[in-house]
Amino acid sequence: MFESPEAVIEQLDQQGYICDKNIATVVFLAMKLEKPILVEGPAGVGKTELAKVVSAASGRPMIRLQCYEGLDEAKALYEWEYSKQLLYTQILKEKFAEAMAGTTTVAGAADRVGQEDSVFFSERFIVPRPLLRAIQADDPSLLLIDEVDKSDPEFEAFLLEVLSDFQVTVPEIGTLDARHKPIVFLTSNDAREMSDALKRRCLHLYIDFPNEELEVRILDKKVDGIEQRLAEELVGVMQRLRKLDLKKTPSISETLDWARALLALNAQDLDEALVRDTLNVILKYEGDIKKAQSELGRLITRKAEEGQAEGGAPAKAEEKPAAGTPAKKGVLH
Amino acid sequence: MQQKIVEFTNLLRKSGVRVSVAESIDAFMALDELSLSDREIFKDALRTTMVKRSEDIATYDQLFDLYWSAFYDGLKNSFEQAAGDMEGEFDLEQMMKAIQEGLQNMEGDPGELDLSELAKALLSQDMDKLEQLIREAAEAAGTERIENMLQLGFFTRRTMEQMDAEGAGDQLRDLAQQLRESGMSDAQADALLELIDKFLEALRKSVRNYTERELQQQNFDYMEKFRRESLLEKSFYNLTEDEIKKMREVVVRLAQRIKNVLSIRKRRLKRGKLDLHTMLRRNMAHGGVPFDLIFKQRRKERPKLVILCDVSSSVANVSRFMMQFMYSLQECFTKIRAFVFVSELGEVTQVFKDKDINDAIEKALDGGDVINVYTRSNFGFAFHHFWQNFLSSVDNKTTVLILGDARNNYNDPRAWCLRDLHNKAKDVVWLNPESPSAWGFGDSVMDKYLPYTDVAEECRNLKQLSRVVDRLVL
Repeated sequence: MFESPEAVIEQLDQQGYICDKNIATVVFLAMKLEKPILVEGPAGVGKTELAKVVSAASGRPMIRLQCYEGLDEAKALYEWEYSKQLLYTQILKEKFAEAMAGTTTVAGAADRVGQEDSVFFSERFIVPRPLLRAIQADDPSLLLIDEVDKSDPEFEAFLLEVLSDFQVTVPEIGTLDARHKPIVFLTSNDAREMSDALKRRCLHLYIDFPNEELEVRILDKKVDGIEQRLAEELVGVMQRLRKLDLKKTPSISETLDWARALLALNAQDLDEALVRDTLNVILKYEGDIKKAQSELGRLITRKAEEGQAEGGAPAKAEEKPAAGTPAKKGVLH
Repeated sequence: MQQKIVEFTNLLRKSGVRVSVAESIDAFMALDELSLSDREIFKDALRTTMVKRSEDIATYDQLFDLYWSAFYDGLKNSFEQAAGDMEGEFDLEQMMKAIQEGLQNMEGDPGELDLSELAKALLSQDMDKLEQLIREAAEAAGTERIENMLQLGFFTRRTMEQMDAEGAGDQLRDLAQQLRESGMSDAQADALLELIDKFLEALRKSVRNYTERELQQQNFDYMEKFRRESLLEKSFYNLTEDEIKKMREVVVRLAQRIKNVLSIRKRRLKRGKLDLHTMLRRNMAHGGVPFDLIFKQRRKERPKLVILCDVSSSVANVSRFMMQFMYSLQECFTKIRAFVFVSELGEVTQVFKDKDINDAIEKALDGGDVINVYTRSNFGFAFHHFWQNFLSSVDNKTTVLILGDARNNYNDPRAWCLRDLHNKAKDVVWLNPESPSAWGFGDSVMDKYLPYTDVAEECRNLKQLSRVVDRLVL
């Protein structure tokens, strides 16, 4: 397990996840205090990914519960396997007859059957769903409750029992305690505010869009063979794009997609035409694309100015011929 | 330390961040697991255990800096200044190096060098350690009991005594003397002596500073200063350009939230008759015994909406955000028609069809090319105009939403127009940016209109606005 927040950073880094101290501290504390983490933040900043890499780094298998409207106990916790019970009853019919042999009254027979009750309401006939699986797992596990904001408030209420005591009550059997307390990650896009009761039981982590330096490092780590200079230019454009008033602000996953797309196109630098043609990789709404296109000049000129300020004229001179090379044009059109 | 965290928690609560007792206990448990030497980790640990809403993070950061870092930064500043104030050419790094060398040259091992913790911290300018020492000494001196300005000197002195600042000074001066004896140049030794004096002075200043802060914190006004003037509760009357922009984002988020809640509430409302077909199919697994009941979903009629916005300057902001709200919630209504008026009335529905919502609102507030906004409000005239031309568009599924302060400039209110409107419409909702106590006074004709409204509410800030909207779309 992790000894310190620094160790968390290092071990997650080995799994290919670059995080800052804030994330590391929260993960570390969650492990130490055995508390669930509620991860919030815009879509695509790596909330689910964080759970995955922590699972890999700590060697705990991940059990995932995807939330949606209408998710209920039967889907999340456990369900009685009715058809199996029915099947067993059919097969065991003779046995029942034996058990009931000798009784003369209906009441007596019912009593006999009543004694066998526990056979049918035992763990044998329970279909464990993710929550119960996490609690009953033989090895310590990691439970990811994804997009918990999509679930109904009722579901949230019953999550409380699981999250605070790590136990589940099945009326017919009793209370099932956790063999090992799982690490729990809840992710939320903040579509709905979670109740205070739930929040109180969790540590809170807010992951925002990364800053420029962090994003370059992430690109470097995640996309093989990307040149430092292209990565920096690309991240620069992304950071400026995020400042625009867009319907859907592009996040890290879009940056990665874009970088891969550019690599596939064999691009060396960003120029206006190239950005214009590949905008649809990062922006998913027609209105956003139009807005970005009208601002495109500004994004690019600012970059050119920076280039001038840093490296002087040569850097700019290099860019221009590259933009005009026939090879690239061929790929693009 | 515990005392400080409890105090900080109270500060958070006073600033509107909800921190429960369980959460502050969590914070203590978290701090037990961590080394406190790293300020950033300390900050993150407190945040993750106590602040659970992303909106509150900004407040937390601000308060944290004020409460924990301001003193530390002041401390650091005063020491940097002390080094900067040295006469002649002086290089702190060089001095430190010289001291290191001097110590090595000295007879005997450095362990013999008997310096107090404070002296060591001063010599190495270990700010974290210094801060800790000052806090501990202040606690021992009982500084938190300070009540007025006159006690400042007393508690400062007492804190200094608790730390044995004088003793540390003597030790350091002895050290300088020893260094001189073991071969440090006179000039450098003199400089060191001067530096020691400067550092001691800086320490005294910092302690006084700390004592002053303690005094301020006793003051309720000081706490009050931190209270965030939340955008939600800020009055629409005085908004800066920047705040309008921020407010717009808040409206978007509120609208989104209402939509989400709505889908849940609606689902419950929509439950209709038993759906036999689906139920039989679903319950095949149970041998045809209907364990799960399936109901048909009833369709709920979405209301039509007619908005009448006063766009005279006094209520322009309320109209702005109301329209944004309504158009963000478009899918909750079958149809929205928007009218603006000051004295004349004009329809701006088309403007919203043609333009992006924010542009459309700005245009509508500007009269939308259909009305003249540079006149004086005349509600009666506007209502009469509506009554003449658009009354037929109102039916029993229509909610009419009126925004205005009902300041009629002593014109005829023509309340009978509103009465007819009220008779035809499903609901008439009036939002007034003035508080109910002002209704009917001066040129306000709100009291004349009041009998013909189903809901009339004060709507001066976003919180009130969102509450009204919430009721409206249900």
